[in-house]
Amino acid sequence: MTRFVEPLTIEEACSALAADPWGAKALAGGTALVLMMRQGLVNPKTLVSLGALQHLRGIEAEDGFIRIGARTTLNEVAVSPIVSALSPSLAAACSLVGNIRIRNLATLGGNLAEADYASDPPSVLVGMDATCIVQGPSAQRIVPVGELITGFYSTSLAPDEIITAVLVPVAGDAHRRSSYKKYVSRSSEDRPCVGVAVMADFNAGVVAHLSVVVGAVAEVPQRFDELVTPAIGRPLDQQTVSEIAGAYAAAIDPMEDARGSAWYRRQVTEVFIRRALEEVASP
Amino acid sequence: MTVDDSQDSPVAHMRLSVNGVHRDIEVPDDEALVTSLRKLGFTSVRAACGIGMCGTCTVQVDGMVASSCLLLTRQVSGCELVTSEGLVEDGALSEVQQAFLDHRAYQCSFCIPGMVLTVDACLRSHPSATVSDVREYLSGNLCRCGTYPSILEAVHALVAARTAGGDVR
Amino acid sequence: MTSINMTPQPTGAVGVDHPMQDAVDRVVGSIRFTIDHEVGGMAHARVIRSPFPHARLTGIDVKGALALPGVLAVLTGEDIVGDERIPNPCFGVARRDQWPLAVGKVRYAGDPVALVVADTERHADAAAIAVRVDCDELPYVVDAAEAAREGAPVIHEEWPRNECGSWALHHGDVEEGFAQADRIVESVYTSPSANPVPLEPHVAVAQWNDQLLQVWSSTQWPSIVRRELAHMFGLAEHLVEVRTYPLGGGFGAKGQVKIEPLVASAARIVGVPVRLELDRDEVFLTVAKHPATIRVKSGVKRDGTFVARDMELVYAAGAYAVTSPSGTGNALVRAPGPYRIPNIRITSQAYYTNTVPGGSFRGAFTNQVAFAYESHVDEIASELGMDPMMLRMKNLLRDGDTYATGEAMHDVHFEELVVNVAEGIGWDEAQPPMAPGRLRAKGLAVILKSTPTPSRSEARVEIGGDGHVTVYSSAVDMGQGASSTLAQLAAEFLGVRYADVRVVDPDTSTTPFDTMTAGSRTTFSSGSAIRQACAALIEAIGELGADQLGLSPAELAHDEGHVVAAMDGSHRRSYGDVIVAAGLSSLSREGVFQSESGGAFKDPLDVKGMASIHWHQGAAAVEIEVDIETGRVIVLRCHGASWAGRIVNPTRVRQQNEGNIIFGIGPALFEQLEMESGQVINPNMSDYMIPSILDVPEHMTSTALVSSEADAELHGVGEMTIPAVAPAIANAVFRATGVRIRDLPLTAERVLRGLRSVEGKVR
Repeated sequence: MTRFVEPLTIEEACSALAADPWGAKALAGGTALVLMMRQGLVNPKTLVSLGALQHLRGIEAEDGFIRIGARTTLNEVAVSPIVSALSPSLAAACSLVGNIRIRNLATLGGNLAEADYASDPPSVLVGMDATCIVQGPSAQRIVPVGELITGFYSTSLAPDEIITAVLVPVAGDAHRRSSYKKYVSRSSEDRPCVGVAVMADFNAGVVAHLSVVVGAVAEVPQRFDELVTPAIGRPLDQQTVSEIAGAYAAAIDPMEDARGSAWYRRQVTEVFIRRALEEVASP
Repeated sequence: MTVDDSQDSPVAHMRLSVNGVHRDIEVPDDEALVTSLRKLGFTSVRAACGIGMCGTCTVQVDGMVASSCLLLTRQVSGCELVTSEGLVEDGALSEVQQAFLDHRAYQCSFCIPGMVLTVDACLRSHPSATVSDVREYLSGNLCRCGTYPSILEAVHALVAARTAGGDVR
Repeated sequence: MTSINMTPQPTGAVGVDHPMQDAVDRVVGSIRFTIDHEVGGMAHARVIRSPFPHARLTGIDVKGALALPGVLAVLTGEDIVGDERIPNPCFGVARRDQWPLAVGKVRYAGDPVALVVADTERHADAAAIAVRVDCDELPYVVDAAEAAREGAPVIHEEWPRNECGSWALHHGDVEEGFAQADRIVESVYTSPSANPVPLEPHVAVAQWNDQLLQVWSSTQWPSIVRRELAHMFGLAEHLVEVRTYPLGGGFGAKGQVKIEPLVASAARIVGVPVRLELDRDEVFLTVAKHPATIRVKSGVKRDGTFVARDMELVYAAGAYAVTSPSGTGNALVRAPGPYRIPNIRITSQAYYTNTVPGGSFRGAFTNQVAFAYESHVDEIASELGMDPMMLRMKNLLRDGDTYATGEAMHDVHFEELVVNVAEGIGWDEAQPPMAPGRLRAKGLAVILKSTPTPSRSEARVEIGGDGHVTVYSSAVDMGQGASSTLAQLAAEFLGVRYADVRVVDPDTSTTPFDTMTAGSRTTFSSGSAIRQACAALIEAIGELGADQLGLSPAELAHDEGHVVAAMDGSHRRSYGDVIVAAGLSSLSREGVFQSESGGAFKDPLDVKGMASIHWHQGAAAVEIEVDIETGRVIVLRCHGASWAGRIVNPTRVRQQNEGNIIFGIGPALFEQLEMESGQVINPNMSDYMIPSILDVPEHMTSTALVSSEADAELHGVGEMTIPAVAPAIANAVFRATGVRIRDLPLTAERVLRGLRSVEGKVR
């Protein structure tokens, strides 16, 4: 037995979730949740549709960051002129999720709440130090995306909380280059074997800031800031690139599945980190 | 396939707008749109994979293609739904359908309505789409017979006709 | 994009590029499939399946399920076996070793154990979850070689060594042949299990009217389904009516007998019509491509002449025999490939395993051997330092050559096919400069396939008083356009317009027997039956017309659906008018095609003789690119060719060739059924991927080779290029990288591992 309710405000939505913490689930686009219901993985008694909360949809450039409403679809993010200008690798990552039918329905907030280890946007958002605005019945909090996703399809969201927006810091004065590489090892429509998100801020030809995040290899996006420190204050040259790529390949503890063994994932992680860094390093 | 306890889900009376016509239907809260549409007789909408991968359940929702196997009917009240049947106007095939017909873009045809709706949506929303753009757009519509080359020939013709000055109807 | 050699000019309807007759319905989606069929008052079924690969059933508790809303019945194997209206519950086309619901034990993870029948699908789903199945697990075996060993778990008591097909072929003296050889090359090749993935799943509706059973099923074998159901229920065949709509894809998945026995049994027991539609994961658990391990040993002269071949084919049959006992015989006669080899020994065995039952998969019992022997030919070429194309040209069969079965080959065109595909991808073109980190190369393969022998197709052709023609055939349209092709053939043979011919959907109460729509046989065999029926009709109309016109039959001619006086074209009367004038409402005649068995398979351990009335022939050449850092292989270019003999419909032949190539890329590069602890772990279309539009080679072309004779034999082309795709790719990968991969699929990881070991660097 599953019932469908469609609250008109965020408050109502949180109340509905709070009323049945085990049995109520928030429904945004539904591509993940309905899929899990069909597969028998979840059996919610109440679906709290966020469909009426249209004010949670939209993209704005604010001072120092982009605000993306949680109900914004992945396709809307992918084609947004604001995102394409200020955060092109996020637009790219969103444009690569699934297929166009998924992207037309799936929302950015839903994507983060699902915490699919193989999904593309989380890695990019972690690398950009993006944060989520999380609304509960009585309080609002700001959670870095890296802390939101805690494990396999698990987040730090309480049962009565919903994400209302994602804030993506923008480059400001820095010369920012970013790249997202999605590697599929089987058919072109496969889930990724490895996803690599790279973001570098350059100042007078040397690296002022660098983040490298690897997705689809483990439960959560893999980011090791200590491994990129050799690059700070220096040009991003071939040797530095190789060192970072090699260090990451050694540091990750990748899963094994039909898309690749742990050994294979290490190999291609190194390859794609290197390719992504080479891409951002080139003029 | 639904996961359920012994109790039936609540049923709502809905008025769906399908191909420009309002249809009344009683819909359980957890019923998928593909199921509702097939109950209403729109058998061009099919289910083959249950997980949104194959595209045989494609419908247009407010002009955008969506997997009706992953949409609950309750989610689309107030939306304009278009199925392949709806592209036919006054007994005449739409331009996209005609191109598919002309280029033999069908074999078993289980996937074809979904392909047609997707090409239609792409060309409508992308005025300067190239063949390559449409091909990317079709990446999530699977065909086991391997009719892709004929489909691409139809797309070639549509893009060429448009470049030559027509609009996609 | 396609070149077709077409001489002479087509006459009549054959060779004319008519669209399918229901083309508009297909494009719009108003065509009806079995999945759309409903019967008033029908109940809905849901199968409960074993999670264990091998277990003794100790109890099935249905009480909880029975208490749920809308549930009409929960059936188990005992209910079926105990019902006197079902005297012969076991079914199977080679061995009747399969129950509709398991009895005593389950033999694979996915084996149907119970069936809920309820008023709605939703209620059936809910009740299925409430059924409790208790089992004692038994040791299980998933590998054929393991299943063959002494002491392996016994899957069927009557077959204590799990034997499910055993064949042997001897030609010449293989020991002597190896003694004469200058070089010996030996390798082992494996193909994993896979699934045909038709988009329309298996679906069937069964309804009883007293003693009459009516079944609608998405099946490729309606006549055989009727036969099996009649046997099951102890009925005369005319009391079982099987109807099919066009299929939303078959590809072998809907061959033999699948869910019909279960649905018919449920309808019998519960007393209402019953519908069963399989979910996608269930389709993966219903039929599988046979996994195979194939050892190939060849003896060759240093000039490249083949002198000896020794092969061992080992197949995993899965939990039930289905076609394995006979299929392994088909594999046997296809195994050497299209080559002139004077001394051959081949053994072909299948063993029961606790896995999804093997069935047909487009190119059945050909893909696995072709991957082996065509990879092997390139390995020989490499050993000898010879060009692989030249090595083939030296050894390919020609007309008059003796094949491994001892039969003389006729109408073979293997050399032409190889030349065609090589030219098609520019085999001799200079290599363009490569992007760094990428390697490119070309590979090719050529194959043969026997046509199912023996087999039988009957057809009835009827002309109405209005001149319209109706063809009755149990050949199934599954996207290959069989109905429209048969219409073109009837139009040709009768000299009438294609638009005036219609072919009814198979309905065994009105359409006569046809063994199966499979094995690329329909155009040839059903076409032959139609030709015969049409010839008889023409003769009959001629007699009637002559009588009416006061002429002798010799003075009468036929012209575009009319009889006329031969001398001056006068007295022109349409066939319809002739029929009406004779006081008839219609005139019909039947035709039969029955291929002789020739006795080649009479002694399974000494197969020799005519194994096939004609041999299907195909080839493919590919150009691939390898990313040497990831191992990923992309097919840049592919040219496929098949011998068509005479083309009925050019577009459909092209689509078969192209469809074959695309279908073949999947198992070559990424399709495989994955097992863990005896269970299939990827029974869905996300973890098991089929090719998308982006996986189609950017340049794909095809040729259908035809005879210069106007009345050449019609050859099926439904499966001719697939078996060549995987070995062509494997050969290209070798030529690009020096890595020889003998296990399908050619995953990026396998290629990368190969590259690393070739470089001597394994980290």
